[in-house]
Order: sequence, then C-alpha cells, then structure tokens
Amino acid sequence: MTRRYRRHPELRLTALEGEGVALHLGTRRYYTVNESGLDLLEALASPKTLDELAGVLTAKYEVTDAQATDTARAFVERGVKAGVLLLEEQP
Amino acid sequence: MSARIEVRSDDLALAGWVAAWLDGMRLSPPVSLAFELRLVREPLVGAEDSRTPFQQPGVEIRSGPPHGDVRITWLAAPARARIAPGALTASVELTEAALADREPLQQSFLAVVLILLLRRAGWHHVHAALARDPRGRDWLFAGDAQSGKSTTAALLATWGWAVGCDDAAFLVRNPSSVEAVAQRAPVALRPAGRALLGLAGGRPARGGRKSAFFPEDLGGTWAARVEPRILVFPRIEGERTSAAPLPAREALAELVRWSAWVVLEPELAQEHLDLLNALARQARCYRVALAPDLFHHRDLLMELVP
Repeated sequence: MTRRYRRHPELRLTALEGEGVALHLGTRRYYTVNESGLDLLEALASPKTLDELAGVLTAKYEVTDAQATDTARAFVERGVKAGVLLLEEQP
Repeated sequence: MSARIEVRSDDLALAGWVAAWLDGMRLSPPVSLAFELRLVREPLVGAEDSRTPFQQPGVEIRSGPPHGDVRITWLAAPARARIAPGALTASVELTEAALADREPLQQSFLAVVLILLLRRAGWHHVHAALARDPRGRDWLFAGDAQSGKSTTAALLATWGWAVGCDDAAFLVRNPSSVEAVAQRAPVALRPAGRALLGLAGGRPARGGRKSAFFPEDLGGTWAARVEPRILVFPRIEGERTSAAPLPAREALAELVRWSAWVVLEPELAQEHLDLLNALARQARCYRVALAPDLFHHRDLLMELVP
C-alpha cells in the first residue's frame, strides 16, 4: 500500500520572506507556516509519499534522513488532522 | 481608466435611492458594474442551496461550488441578491418589509452586495482606516470595530491629516504597488470617542448610536486613494501609546484576519490572498497600542513610526 499526501483542493497558499500563510477556504481557517512547512506545502501541490517529502527537506537543509522523515511525518499528521492535507492510499 | 456602478430598476424611486447611496461613496472601479434591483412580493422563495453559509452581521453568504455564484441573504427582512459566476451585475430582490428600515438595509445588506461585486472588478475589501500624514506617507490601520480605528482616524483629521475612511477600504493591484481605495463615508464615532475628541454635533449614524464626521468637518482633507507604506494593527491598551515592529508574515496573517471575504469564491481567493501578501511586503508593519497620551501629542504616531 502506497500512501501519498497532497494539499486539500480548497487550500490557498501565499509565501513571503521564506515563510507562508495557508488559507483553507472550506473551514475558513488560516495557518502560518515556517520555511520548512512552506517547502512541504509547496511540494504537496502534487501527491507525495513521506519519503519524497523527506527528500524535499534533505535536499535543502542539513538534516539526516531520519530527522527529515520525522519532521515530514509530524507535518503531514498535523496537516491531515487539520484537514489541510489529504491522504491517498493506493495498492 | 475608471467606470461607474450603474443601477437598473423599473422602480425609479428605488433606483434613485440606491444610486444616491453609491454616488456618495465616490467609487470608480476599473470596469462597469451594476445593481439590478427588483421589488418583489414576500416571501422570497428560491432554489435549494445546501452550501454552508458564511456568516457576517445580519447577512448570510453562500458561494463556491457547485453553483459557482454568490448568494447573499439579509436576515433582518426578506431581501436577497445573486451574482452569477463571472458576472459584473448583482441581481437584487427587495421586499417592502426590507425597505421599511433603509439604513440597516444599506449598511448590512447592500454594502455586502457591493463588496462582493467590487471583488469581481479586482477590488478586495479590508476592514481598515486610511490616512496620509503631513509628511506625505500613507498609512493603513487594519482591525475590527473595537480597535480604535475610527477614533484615531477622526483624531488624525483634527490634526490636518488626509483621511480616506475609518472602516471600509478596497485593495487594488497596480503594476508596481498595492493601492487602497477609500469608500467615502463619514467617520462614525461612539459617544466615548466623540467625548475623547471633544467634538459636538456630527451627523446621526447607525440608528443614532454614533455621530459621524467627514474629515473636512474636523479640519482634515479626504484622501480618495493611498499607497500604504505603513501598516498598523491598532488596539486600545494601557496608558502610553507604543509601536512594535511586526514581521511581514505576522502582518499578513493579521490582514487575512481583517479581510473576511478572502475565503469566498475559490477563483478569487488566491488573487485576494496575493494582494494581501503584496501589501504586507510593500509596507513597514507595526502593532500599535493606542493610549490616552495620543490625544495630547499630535506628532506621537509619526515619532513612533519615523
């Protein structure tokens, strides 16, 4: 089973000074995101696996694979819980 | 290049009343917009609309999929409006009951229709006061009804600043900057604000609960448009007025908070959000605590934000 994450279609994102604000049109909530959160949300414009998201972080930051995976996992778990991200499971 | 907001109706008196209200605001959007008014018998019956309403004081707004249009319903009396997808005309249905109390009809229903119609012309609403200081610097004060915007706008007018508005402004993207257009309306003060300023008279507003003054009544001038370079998020707090710089990301989050309409109509939301972003980037941003000493020190704001 492959698990992929992507941005909710009702999420709008705008970036400034390396950080960002995400606005969920459905829930009418907004979120501020730091630099790595912005990188992940931008990557999630198309579906990504956890490994691919960790790769986004290791490509830009000096972190180990394990640290990047932990950060990406925590981010997507929070994102899914908030309804900002969608999880797709494919056989 | 500017256009006008037309009013069409078989009822000439009704059209004249709405046209006078619109003319008084002196708004010149970049494309022609229209209100199409119809006086109908109550009750209003419409198509089923299961979209979750967006609540604003006195009104419910439904927008987005699957219909793609915007529907505005007034809660105080039967009145409703619809703006079709991509349309530049608002179809408005009013009943005699709705017309019985015209000030709230204007301020809580027609004003919302206007905000959503102007959005189609690329003008995006923000709850803000606008001003130009004596040095020619343009300020935008964003916040809610309790943040001190109106009293500050009136105070600045008494000191000779140009004041655009105290509550409703529209952000407009220009090739190189973001401008804020003022909706011409008198600054509406509660009795406490009027007492702080030592003002008497004024026009009755909000059912007599407020007194309203144009900037010119107070010794200032009117600024129809400003190009904000100083962005202030005020709050009434403490004994001494102070200003603290605000990072652009936090300023953007604050702007989103005071631009409720940004969440409506998915096809316009990104444009609106990007406009708020551009504004936060072009301005220096501050959180300002407004205190009584401001009333005794006319250059204080300019000193705090040099």
